[in-house]
Amino acid sequence: MEEKRITKENLIKLGSNWVNDGMNVYVNNGKKYTLMKLHEEDLKGFEEAPPLMSYKEIVFPKTEPILYYKKSQKEVEIIEPKIGGVKNIVIGAKPCDAKSISIMSKVFNWDYKDSFFNVRAEESVIIGMACKYNDEHCFCTSVGISPVSTDGSDLFLIPLANDNFGVRIISDKGKELISKYESYFTNGDSEESENVLSSIPIPEKKFNAENVKSWLDKNFESEFWNTTAEMCLGCSQCAFVCPVCHCFDIVDEDYSFTEGRRMKNWDACQNGLFTKHASGHNPRDKQPKRYRQRVSHKFKYYKDKFDEYLCTGCGRCSRGCPAGIDIGEIVERIDKLTN
Amino acid sequence: MTELKNLVKSLLEEGKVTKVIGYRMYGENNTKPYIAVTPNDAEEMVLNTDCRNNLSVYLTKKEIINGGKTGIVAKGCDIRNIIALIQENRIKEEDILIISAECKGVGAEKGSAVYANKCVNCSVKTPHLYHELVEMKGSELSQPKDKYTEAKEKVLAMNSGERFEYFSNMFSECIKCYACRQACPMCYCEQCIADMSIPRWIESSATDRGNLSWNMIRAFHLSGRCTGCNECERACPAEIPLSFINKLMYDTAKEEFNYESGMNKETPTLIGSYNTKDNDNFIQ
Ligand code: SF4
Ligand code: SF4
Ligand code: SF4
Ligand code: SF4
Ligand code: SF4
Repeated sequence: MEEKRITKENLIKLGSNWVNDGMNVYVNNGKKYTLMKLHEEDLKGFEEAPPLMSYKEIVFPKTEPILYYKKSQKEVEIIEPKIGGVKNIVIGAKPCDAKSISIMSKVFNWDYKDSFFNVRAEESVIIGMACKYNDEHCFCTSVGISPVSTDGSDLFLIPLANDNFGVRIISDKGKELISKYESYFTNGDSEESENVLSSIPIPEKKFNAENVKSWLDKNFESEFWNTTAEMCLGCSQCAFVCPVCHCFDIVDEDYSFTEGRRMKNWDACQNGLFTKHASGHNPRDKQPKRYRQRVSHKFKYYKDKFDEYLCTGCGRCSRGCPAGIDIGEIVERIDKLTN
Repeated sequence: MTELKNLVKSLLEEGKVTKVIGYRMYGENNTKPYIAVTPNDAEEMVLNTDCRNNLSVYLTKKEIINGGKTGIVAKGCDIRNIIALIQENRIKEEDILIISAECKGVGAEKGSAVYANKCVNCSVKTPHLYHELVEMKGSELSQPKDKYTEAKEKVLAMNSGERFEYFSNMFSECIKCYACRQACPMCYCEQCIADMSIPRWIESSATDRGNLSWNMIRAFHLSGRCTGCNECERACPAEIPLSFINKLMYDTAKEEFNYESGMNKETPTLIGSYNTKDNDNFIQ
């Protein structure tokens, strides 16, 4: 694998160049993936927790028009919105975030090919970074990711001494992004990077995801669900911050009697209205059923359909849950039920 | 004074309550809500300076309140919400049993060395409605910086256009998850105005306009009702300082009508009553 080296100063300068080239550049400042145009930010995140929100918005915005309409007495005119046209760069993606686009791309390309997602995914370049953070909510290693995995990254940063970074070139996209800016880099030293990587403690697996799935296969109606997330407030924080939750709602918004737009907005299975039918019937009428959906979608349905877990183990949902519900701990409990 | 665990245990054993909503430890310096149903469950129950949640929100959830008397561990500020819910006829006092304590204040967040903002100038450290008293554990923390007074002065000095802009900016990060509403004990409406589609009062998209309408309407709906427990702000994943606008409305209710929500269960609610001596003559 090709490796280069860059100073942090040059990396930030490079970011500004990309901004000048008309790209949206997001930098992990240790708390947030912040848009570089708006703030001059330091690159952090090697030793910090994943930012509160993932950056899934670059491919799946919290709200977007999917069409505009004009109605007259005889016909309806549909106007397609413009999508894409701007490259999105993320500098310092956590390994548990870097994989999110490739995971979500399965559902957005299953039968219908979602151009809203695809155009943006194609235009996104992810610069991942090794991670030295680990807390009680993290469980990336239990779902096939690790603090040093380059899965989903186009370039991969390894923090070295004196604010230097080893830069590994993972994909052609990554290579192309920096091709214009060779002068910012020097030759990389793979051994130094290897030393840093091997000094990062790899957390032990908390559960065996295959066991969890086989339990879920058989326990849709288990008592377990009634007592597991009884304190859940149905607040949807967990799904909105999750790097791979991808549910949305479609609403029409009229500007006037003749014009309007159709919007696609984030939605979540923990919200009671999510499955409420127009008849008034709600197949997931209680919070335990909604929580069962959350766990089953992540550790069974997505795996069944796309051979991938719908969870990167980032632990965000648990860190932010106002009711102290920890998905890793719950799944760990399921694993224990199997042996 | 009885130890909390023993109290809860005997309440459950003697059948005085069918369940107790309380806190248990969650890591070293955090707690989380749980429900004790059997006397054994009581073993885990704690009350300390890490008990941040306002458990009264669970009294508004039908799935949890479904028959029998419910015990609830509540700090003074949480009792204010219980009282407000009684004032609004949402719950009946005889259906609940409040276990409280002389409050030591709670930490701003997990592992924090300072108090939560709401604990500064709190007037209900000594509980004002309870049925059993226990002791709260935990050591003294330090005072947080007062960010509110300065921000309030700044906003009051603005003209309406500037205020509009100020709040539009504040709410632009909103992602319309409604965690604020779900965590709020006073947002118990069976159908929230934000969920109505015919007619649609609030643009459901998380655009700047939709975000401003949502957050403004919620602030209006909580005027004279919000007790300042700040659970909305704690739940908000977008880190919007929601307590600010709620506190502004709270102060207005106090200054204009001498009304503070959740202080006295016998007082009619501010919104549900009128006074012939009102300052505004249109209502007289
Ligand atoms: S964040 Fe917690 S309380 Fe909110 S919906 Fe998710 S599990 Fe429930
Ligand atoms: S479910 Fe939770 S831990 Fe898993 S990817 Fe989503 S936010 Fe992260
Ligand atoms: S606001 Fe008052 S009653 Fe509530 S936790 Fe703080 S000090 Fe205790
Ligand atoms: S925002 Fe208003 S309508 Fe919605 S739950 Fe709260 S009080 Fe009810
Ligand atoms: S919790 Fe925050 S982000 Fe979510 S709807 Fe409320 S204000 Fe918006």
